Amino acid sequence: MAITSLPSLDGQELTILIQGRFDFGAHQDFRNAYESVSSTPQRYIVDLKDTTYLDSSALGMLLLLRDYAGGDDSMIRLVNCSSDVRKILAISNFEQLFNIA
Amino acid sequence: MSDIHIDSAVLAALQDVMEDEYPVLLDTFLVDSEERLLLLRQAQQEADAQNLRLAAHSFKGSCSNMGANMLAGLCKQLEEVGQREQLDLAAELIEQVEREFAIVRILFKSERQRYRH
Amino acid sequence: MIERLSILIVEDNAADRMLLSAIVSRQGHRALTASNGLEAVALFDRERPHLVLMDALMPVMDGFEAARRIKQAAGEALVPIIFLTSLTEGEALVRCLEAGGDDFLAKPYNRVILEAKINAMDRLRRLQETVLQQRDLIGQHNEYLLNEQRVAKAVFDKVAHSGCLDAPNIRYVQSPFAVFNGDLLLAAYKPSGGMHVLLGDFTGHGLPAAIGAMPLAEVFYGMTAKGYSLTDVLREVNAKLRHILPRGVFCCATLLNVSFQRQAVEVWNGGLPNGYLLRVNGERVPLVSRHLPLGVLEPAAFNDACEVYPVSLGDRVFLFSDGVLEAGNKQAQLFGEQRLLSVFADNQKPQALFDEIQQALLQFSGDQQDDVSLLEVSLVEDGQVKRPPLTFSDNGHNHLLDWSATFEFRGETLRYFNPLPFLLHLLLEVQGLRPQGAALFTVLAELYSNALEHGVLGLESSLKANAEGFADYYRQRSDRLAHLTDGFVRFHLRLLPEGGGGRLRLRVEDSGAGFDPQLLLPQPDDALRLSGRGLALVRQLSERCQWGDGEPGVCVEFSWKAGA
Repeated sequence: MAITSLPSLDGQELTILIQGRFDFGAHQDFRNAYESVSSTPQRYIVDLKDTTYLDSSALGMLLLLRDYAGGDDSMIRLVNCSSDVRKILAISNFEQLFNIA
Repeated sequence: MSDIHIDSAVLAALQDVMEDEYPVLLDTFLVDSEERLLLLRQAQQEADAQNLRLAAHSFKGSCSNMGANMLAGLCKQLEEVGQREQLDLAAELIEQVEREFAIVRILFKSERQRYRH
Repeated sequence: MIERLSILIVEDNAADRMLLSAIVSRQGHRALTASNGLEAVALFDRERPHLVLMDALMPVMDGFEAARRIKQAAGEALVPIIFLTSLTEGEALVRCLEAGGDDFLAKPYNRVILEAKINAMDRLRRLQETVLQQRDLIGQHNEYLLNEQRVAKAVFDKVAHSGCLDAPNIRYVQSPFAVFNGDLLLAAYKPSGGMHVLLGDFTGHGLPAAIGAMPLAEVFYGMTAKGYSLTDVLREVNAKLRHILPRGVFCCATLLNVSFQRQAVEVWNGGLPNGYLLRVNGERVPLVSRHLPLGVLEPAAFNDACEVYPVSLGDRVFLFSDGVLEAGNKQAQLFGEQRLLSVFADNQKPQALFDEIQQALLQFSGDQQDDVSLLEVSLVEDGQVKRPPLTFSDNGHNHLLDWSATFEFRGETLRYFNPLPFLLHLLLEVQGLRPQGAALFTVLAELYSNALEHGVLGLESSLKANAEGFADYYRQRSDRLAHLTDGFVRFHLRLLPEGGGGRLRLRVEDSGAGFDPQLLLPQPDDALRLSGRGLALVRQLSERCQWGDGEPGVCVEFSWKAGA
């Protein structure tokens, strides 16, 4: 599991890349990924391209990010979801809270 | 004092460590050594190579602690004789040990006298 | 500066013993001396020194044997033993190590080396001491934790199992410690008959996952017993969990409202895998997650919309926790939905399906999984499911015998407010009515839904003739209710003392057109606009049931005798 955060050049956007399992073990790293950036991004992208697994703790972490990013006013996209990941997000109806691509 | 028999540097160190008890240490060594010599002779008479070896080993250890280097060296040879079960060589070596101990004894007695002043 | 140690010196040579003792004392430690192994063991038992300097060859008992005994007596604590021997004798060194020796010191003794060795051994000794302390602390914490879990589980079991999971139409599988996996299974009889069922799965594991189960169960059982509807329960549970749980912790759940008498199942699924309604005719209807899990959304954004399915005798509902789909085997494959569906497909006798699913899981993963929760609820005759007596918090008064009241619930109030729990609560203040509480509530519920659905909302009961119409009926019901601005339902309650006992007259009328007695009389069933079942039930459960006797609406009576 590795989590990388990449701010855009203008600092407006933050991409969080999650590799491997996205579960409770990623808790601290995931928080660090958005809490310890110097810029104040307007938009967040969670890139799940290399995410092999995602559990309900991960959904909880996404909710924490959503709260951090402004709750209902947050702009968060979950991108490059595999069909398995997409299914888990769908069962929880997270498309009501996140922009899923 | 002859450094061949007694290492004066070791004695200085012992004196430093023992302080007031330094003469007692010297006395104790001498009394103890008499016993070791008895054990050596007894082992040789009984032709007990194992006991000869152990007694020589033990004596060697305390001699080295006291800076009696030549005596320690003789004990080491005796220990090896015991180990190799060359009992025919033991009597000669034990005599050498006794002669050397007699010298050491005189040197320690005088050291003890010297310390008293 | 190292702490003062007590050091046992074991040496048969008096001069060497004296020398070592002096060196050790000068370094600030306390020296204990023994001239052979036996003395050393005895002294160790008495004084428990921190460290031992041990000659190997000694009379009476040699250093090897003494070392073994001291190590044994020391137990888990590290008492370092430094053998006093020269490093040249390979065989002797091996024996020292085998006896438990930790280091060697050769003659002639060197003060600096001895001090260094003592310090090194002391560090090792203290490290071991710390490790042991921490191990004990962890063990103690674990013991506390297990004990806390036992207590928490005992309390939780009292709350969670106060329901009706033992009802004859329910089968379930759940690990006894499921609550610490966040899994939760609740079932409760409704006072009007039928039951509420919940299968939930909190995020996380351990106490954090279990902690939300308690308030959820309390709300679920408390509100169901008081006659609140499934949507009321859902809203309250969601609001409560959202309020008390930290962000990121939530509860995926499916709730069922099973009505045997109405032959309908209401379903709300937020975040759990598909459940299935398996009809007697073999049709399989997926019960899909349409909502975010409980505890995620603010109360204002929460969606309590349920799906309603008509059911008939022998139909079964199956619910699964995601532990079922995620049950793994040794090859790290997951059981998955396809395998589950093929068990459904292969099934011949519906009553065997529950066992077949269990078997398939066991066969696949090889052992019982801890976080698998599995539930089957079947539709049985109304009479087959008992209705336990209602529970009351008794205030000890028995004087509420002679009163009357009228309540009118209008327009928008009807959209959001369910008056039944409120009315039931009021009526059950009358002690004589309590034994009939369940029947009273059922009658009240039937009359109210009749008044609301047919009278106020103008829905046609004939719609429910087929499954399509059934769904349409409930769609129209929620649409019309959402836009309701006027209309009313009135409850007239009248309590009369009667020969030491008493009598309740309850009349329900509504703003709908159809309660005109002139129109009612010729075709009472239609005119009442209750489904046949509803009418039969009201007649059966109440002492008298009449309409059109000059007063609008339907009037029912319940009475009780003295001492009842």
